[in-house]
Amino acid sequence: MENEMTLTFAAVSENEALARMTLTFFIASLDPTLEEISEYKTVISEAATNAIIHGYGEDPSGMVEVRAMLEGREVTVTISDKGRGITDVDEAMQPMFTTKPDDERSGMGFTIMESFTDNLKVESAPGSGTTVTFKKTFSPVPEVCRTTG
Amino acid sequence: MEQMIEMLEGGFVLVRPAGELDHHSADEIRRTVSHLLYGGAISGIIWDLGSLQFMDSAGIGLILGRMRDLRTVDGGTVILNPSSTMRKMFEMSGLGDHLLDGTATDAIDKLGGILHGK
Repeated sequence: MENEMTLTFAAVSENEALARMTLTFFIASLDPTLEEISEYKTVISEAATNAIIHGYGEDPSGMVEVRAMLEGREVTVTISDKGRGITDVDEAMQPMFTTKPDDERSGMGFTIMESFTDNLKVESAPGSGTTVTFKKTFSPVPEVCRTTG
Repeated sequence: MEQMIEMLEGGFVLVRPAGELDHHSADEIRRTVSHLLYGGAISGIIWDLGSLQFMDSAGIGLILGRMRDLRTVDGGTVILNPSSTMRKMFEMSGLGDHLLDGTATDAIDKLGGILHGK
């Protein structure tokens, strides 16, 4: 199965659900397990939320772009913003690190993203934005499910 | 987001969020629960996540924030019936000891134990 999509949306928090739903439909044909779907949705939600609140400070004129590519059972998703960017990516990826403790961010976003993906890459520069790219391979559908349709 | 908040005997609050808990919907729950916390004698919060279809790290931030509020009154926290994905996230965040599969009554038993140092 090969497929490709691009979605662009304004940096408002309502769109976190839009990103999750759209990208879930995109991989639905792979018949993923419930656990795979929920991990995948979590990663998208973390990255989209980061772009919306950290990248743009929820400024609706900021645009978040999501691109996804499906090759066989592997999906590659890129979520990018042209917002504030991250000064120290390594520091930002430490568990419990947050720049917004008063907003009740847990600081666990990147740790969760790393744990629920096969590969996670974060590219960022202050003032020019952040791009998060992840890959996730979905397990093969068991034979018995395939034959019974 | 749909949410159900119930006051149980002994000053325990039962919060049962439904639907999807993300940064967008967490605010609403935070406002309601904080209101209760600041308004009265609360001895603990039971978060029953059994009806929640989705949660990201905003849920962890929400629960950690309320644990901070509860610290001033020595209140406990129990997280009931998380999905396996949620369970992994709570464990990564150091909240594994607060997880429980069971009913609100089981959670009160656990909280009673915590509060009485058992």
